Amino acid sequence: MASVNVIEEAAKALDVAMAVADPATWTIEFENAKFFQWFPPDADDVGDARKRLPGLPLERAESRLGQGRSFAYEAEIKSGARTLTISISLKTVEVAGAPKLVIEGSNISKQKEAEYMLDSYSRLAEKNARELQREKERAEKLLLNIMPRVIYEELKDFGTTTPQRFDNTTVLMTDFVGFTEMAISQDPGAVVTELNDIFSAFDRVVELFGCERIKTIGDSYVAVSGLPEPTPDHAINIAKVALRFKRYLERRNSAHPTKWYCRIGVATGPLIGSIVGIQKYVYDIFGPAVNLAARLEALSESMQITMDAQTRELIESDFVAASRGTAELKGFGEREIFTLVSERPSGR
Amino acid sequence: MATTIFERAGGFSAVRKIVADFYDRLLDDVTLQKYFANIDMARLIDHQTQFVSSMMGGPGEVSNDSLRKAHERLNINKADFIKLAGILRDTLEDHGLPDEAVQHIYDAVMARETFIVSKK
Repeated sequence: MASVNVIEEAAKALDVAMAVADPATWTIEFENAKFFQWFPPDADDVGDARKRLPGLPLERAESRLGQGRSFAYEAEIKSGARTLTISISLKTVEVAGAPKLVIEGSNISKQKEAEYMLDSYSRLAEKNARELQREKERAEKLLLNIMPRVIYEELKDFGTTTPQRFDNTTVLMTDFVGFTEMAISQDPGAVVTELNDIFSAFDRVVELFGCERIKTIGDSYVAVSGLPEPTPDHAINIAKVALRFKRYLERRNSAHPTKWYCRIGVATGPLIGSIVGIQKYVYDIFGPAVNLAARLEALSESMQITMDAQTRELIESDFVAASRGTAELKGFGEREIFTLVSERPSGR
Repeated sequence: MATTIFERAGGFSAVRKIVADFYDRLLDDVTLQKYFANIDMARLIDHQTQFVSSMMGGPGEVSNDSLRKAHERLNINKADFIKLAGILRDTLEDHGLPDEAVQHIYDAVMARETFIVSKK
């Protein structure tokens, strides 16, 4: 049978390992060079395939083969300095009327290498994605410091924002009596640290009552209610914030060696809210109410809240106010002005 | 913004080919292959991928401390380290990296000698 010899000779030269064994005894009847190289025999057990195949789960293999099915597993072998991963498959086939166990092994090391490399890359990529996400959140947090969230969302979604008019808003403006002298006469670092504490406390109050901190300019602090989300309670919200600013400073002054005395101005009117600037943008507000609040703040006595007639009218039922008569306000003419005294106990 | 060697070389797809080739060359080298005889393949490939990528300015970080930990038990001598760096340089050249990029990576690897060589 010359043809059988041809096949045998060809099988010997294959790059895959191949062996034929007796299915009952696992005795190897034929093996090619690769099989011999990858699964070399011990000195004593030359022919038992069960002892030649590393890590063979014998029970499972026998049960699978017993049901006439094939069985495959992976094993690692040493080949010089390399560790090769070999995929080994076993199946029983009829050869000339007799069952034979055919064992086949192929080198899948390259595939494994590629898998490991992909794992390594996935981990790198996931780590990068997490870092990017953190960076994005940090950037978002920074932007939310200089603009209201809805404006930020608009900017993010459309790349631009449109100036918007808000008809019903109330603006609050504060500054500190003698701040410039304080900063110069005392340790400027310490003064700024204290200012930072105070503004942080103001921020919490502003947030608590649903208002927006617009900006700080030096020792001046500007907050607004009624934008970017309109609310009918804009004047009441700001009045509450103003009284709490005052109370916070009173409490702080009784406990601290450095005293901080504020002046607060409150005014109601329409405003335009918009992002200004391209490189260094900031959300800002424009309109007569801003100017009016600034004038009223300047007219305030130390630790007093001064407001215009329109604000007073809106909060009259909930707050106690005292008239200060009329005053000449630059750009606004003669106006009646009021001092905000307290919140009525029965008020909201 | 200046692009990294990693980006110019073609990103991870280039690193993948370089690492696979570098890994083959190391294991084929008769003096170096002894260091890899008992190494877990998955860890080795992960380490080499991160190392080559980071040397090229790509993602991945290999701290000097982790380099030392990974190599201290291997008892690597200086001549073998220089040989490995030479093989890496050949590999990078053969993958078409420009000379200055190859030199930059080679220098970066050589600068880490004290963390890799442990045999006096």
